[in-house]
Amino acid sequence: MKIKEIKKAVKKRYAKFARDNISYCPTCNSAKNNITKQAESIGYSANELKSIPESAVLGLGCGNPTALAELKNGEIVLDLGSGAGIDVFLAANKVGESGHVIGVDMTEEMIKRAEKIAEDNNYKNVEFRVGEIENLPVKNNTIDVIISNCVINLSPDKLQTFKEAFRVLKSGGRLMVSDLVTEGFLPEDIKKSFDAWSECVAGALEKNQYLDTIKKAGFHNVEIISQNRYSEKEMDDRLTGKITSIKVRAYK
Amino acid sequence: MKKEIIKILCCPTCKGELSLTIEKEEKGEIITGMFSCAQCHCNYPIIDGIPNLLSQES
Repeated sequence: MKIKEIKKAVKKRYAKFARDNISYCPTCNSAKNNITKQAESIGYSANELKSIPESAVLGLGCGNPTALAELKNGEIVLDLGSGAGIDVFLAANKVGESGHVIGVDMTEEMIKRAEKIAEDNNYKNVEFRVGEIENLPVKNNTIDVIISNCVINLSPDKLQTFKEAFRVLKSGGRLMVSDLVTEGFLPEDIKKSFDAWSECVAGALEKNQYLDTIKKAGFHNVEIISQNRYSEKEMDDRLTGKITSIKVRAYK
Repeated sequence: MKKEIIKILCCPTCKGELSLTIEKEEKGEIITGMFSCAQCHCNYPIIDGIPNLLSQES
């Protein structure tokens, strides 16, 4: 599958999510009835969810990278694939007025939604821009912390994405990502499917391959902080036991 | 879009310096304008306060 076609398919799907008021991740399905419950199940605390606008929570993530990031007052944070902004707003609360959080997402509809939430809720320390995580519009050595939540699996060029993350981070800066990986390799027929790609799984790398890609981009101390194997009743049988959400920390 | 964030932005295509032309500004926020890269001559519009910085190679 060509890179452009993958990006187009992913964009189309997530643009629809942004337009719909109620959405859920079709892969893990658990948010279908209760987005807040799904968010809590992947690591957001009830207090955290109360601290941000409800419309920023779409139930599309697979972790809570800001919880891992130990964000400090004044830090500059970049969220790769910021969606409706859940992690940007959480990070914004943590870095305070002297800090700054930038969300990048290639889906214009998501950025519009996030920007409106920021405006309606008077967030002063957040910025959203339409951009690709493989080609970040950000200067070298300017970011303290990069976060990303269940997005890099959608990228058709993950090495390039991690290289870009490495480039924009300051020396000593940290990467905190939640993402989906596979246990072993997936059947080819799933990999070939467009829908499966934008449903996270076909684009997901095998776990060790994922960690090696981060190292290859230049990061050191690459470490899985926690992992959770997905098992959902409505999941495709061929995927049972093969999808794991991992939380990874790495340093430049 | 706020002006102060420009200092950390660069061209997504060639990573060159961006210059900014403001067409409409309200309360310190840029509503309409254009980023231009002096190095590769790519232009990136700002529409309704949202900069579109998609790489033009992709």
